[in-house]
Amino acid sequence: MERLSDKLSENILSKFSMDFLRNQVLKNAYGNDDTVIAALDPRILLAWYLFFGLVPWFVNELPFLLGCFLLVMVTTILARVAGLVLFLFALGVFSQTGYLFLVTLLFGGDASAVMPLLILTLKVATISLASVTVFSGLDPDRLSNGLMWYGCPERLSFSISYAYRMLPMLMEEFQNVLLSYRLRGNPPAHETLRGKVRYLIYQVKIIMQSFYPLMLNTAKRSRTTVEALELRGYRYAAVNQTVKRMKLAALKVSYNDFLFLAISFLCVALSVLCCTLF
Amino acid sequence: MSTMQKQSAAQSQKLMVFVLTMSLYGLATLFTELIPKFQVGIVEFSVEYFLFIPLTLAMLFDPLSAALGAATGELVFSEIMLGQFGGLGELEKFLTVTIGVYIAGRLVRDPRNRGMVGAAAIIGTAAQLAMGTVVDILKVQFAVEDFEAVAGLPESVFATEGFAFLNDLLFSGILFCMLPCVYLVPKLYGKIEPLLGMQPRTENSAVSGINPKTIAVCVLGFVCAIVAELAATAGLSLIDWEAEWAESGTAVAVGMVVAAVIAIAVLVVMKKNSERKAAH
Repeated sequence: MERLSDKLSENILSKFSMDFLRNQVLKNAYGNDDTVIAALDPRILLAWYLFFGLVPWFVNELPFLLGCFLLVMVTTILARVAGLVLFLFALGVFSQTGYLFLVTLLFGGDASAVMPLLILTLKVATISLASVTVFSGLDPDRLSNGLMWYGCPERLSFSISYAYRMLPMLMEEFQNVLLSYRLRGNPPAHETLRGKVRYLIYQVKIIMQSFYPLMLNTAKRSRTTVEALELRGYRYAAVNQTVKRMKLAALKVSYNDFLFLAISFLCVALSVLCCTLF
Repeated sequence: MSTMQKQSAAQSQKLMVFVLTMSLYGLATLFTELIPKFQVGIVEFSVEYFLFIPLTLAMLFDPLSAALGAATGELVFSEIMLGQFGGLGELEKFLTVTIGVYIAGRLVRDPRNRGMVGAAAIIGTAAQLAMGTVVDILKVQFAVEDFEAVAGLPESVFATEGFAFLNDLLFSGILFCMLPCVYLVPKLYGKIEPLLGMQPRTENSAVSGINPKTIAVCVLGFVCAIVAELAATAGLSLIDWEAEWAESGTAVAVGMVVAAVIAIAVLVVMKKNSERKAAH
């Protein structure tokens, strides 16, 4: 039995290695270009998100919320989102409202608290899934183009493109610095409880210290980046309307986009119908 | 001419600080988002745990660029990249992180003074956490219908939020914001600035110090965060009114369904037609 639990914890720990995290994030960013959702126009998807990200907050009818939830669930499946992201979503939604429910019981609430909390959970879940669909289903470049079309600051679309390109490198560098600190360090024994606490403090200290070389390295890198951007006239191009128009010329709305909107509208209409019937 | 050149140099250096803070803080928040939160007793290690990165950089460089970079980094790396973008809630987080880091950066006149750095770090963290707590309480009050009517819910929300605030400030704030800042800021001072091609901050450089204008801007930002929540209540009554109107006629809903079905049918036919044209 002990061996089994040892094996289980080892398995979970090995799953959460740095490489696993990196792969999941990369897969999420670039791994699903060929899905139905990724082929849609980013502007249409953002407008769609605006509806499903805002309206559920203001509506309290259960059938409507259920209908919206089912729709965004289907779109999430279509977008083929990476497993880790879905796991984080489930953890986030249920730990938050579950915790609130437990504390409510502690303060003398009863089963009547379940209904509002269930509605709250449904709202949060719908909104999160809509955002998972749009922001993880879309290619980063298409996403930043879509945001730019809506007049978001150029700084934001630059940040998105930069983040997706630089992230693998940054993660690798962080890992290397951390490993070199570990190689040189001498961790305290962690068999007893005291040792475990000291081991934890040691780990946290190492992470803090590894930010010292990391900050210096990243400073050098960001200077190189900005100098390269300046050479190409980035700051002037960012505010120039002609450049913007050229950049956004590739966006095109097709029948598929309208079809997607119409099907979503049908779902919403059906759930509104249910609201009026019951 | 020379003033223009100086101006443009300062602009690109601001961009450097922005990129630097964005990548570092974004990476850190990405890790905290990916690694499940772990709890030791009553101490919870949460996201505020890496706030020392933007705090350190805001004390060494231009506070506003560092603050905006940190907020953007968090938004892009941990929210948009992982698909956890939460709409309205993110605006509030963006503003509170920006204000907290900005205040801390403005407070420090001399980065070599450890006492000043520590105090600024804890004040900035406290400001960020306090604003987050207020907005969180408001959010639950607006989202749950009949907030006062559910037995035990109001007290529980105040208690959990208040407890989380104190917990975060006393444990994460001191351990993960104040101590690393006190360690990192004097150590990096004079070493990291030449890498970005600028002069280290001195007591009489323009960026430090809190004046009424700064406070006014910060308060304005916080009001914006609250207005986002108040807009939620205004919208609440609007949609409620619409729902009542829809209740009076099931026909309207049926009409919507029929319209949607017709739209889908027309679109499918049009798509088929255009595909056939393309094939010819």
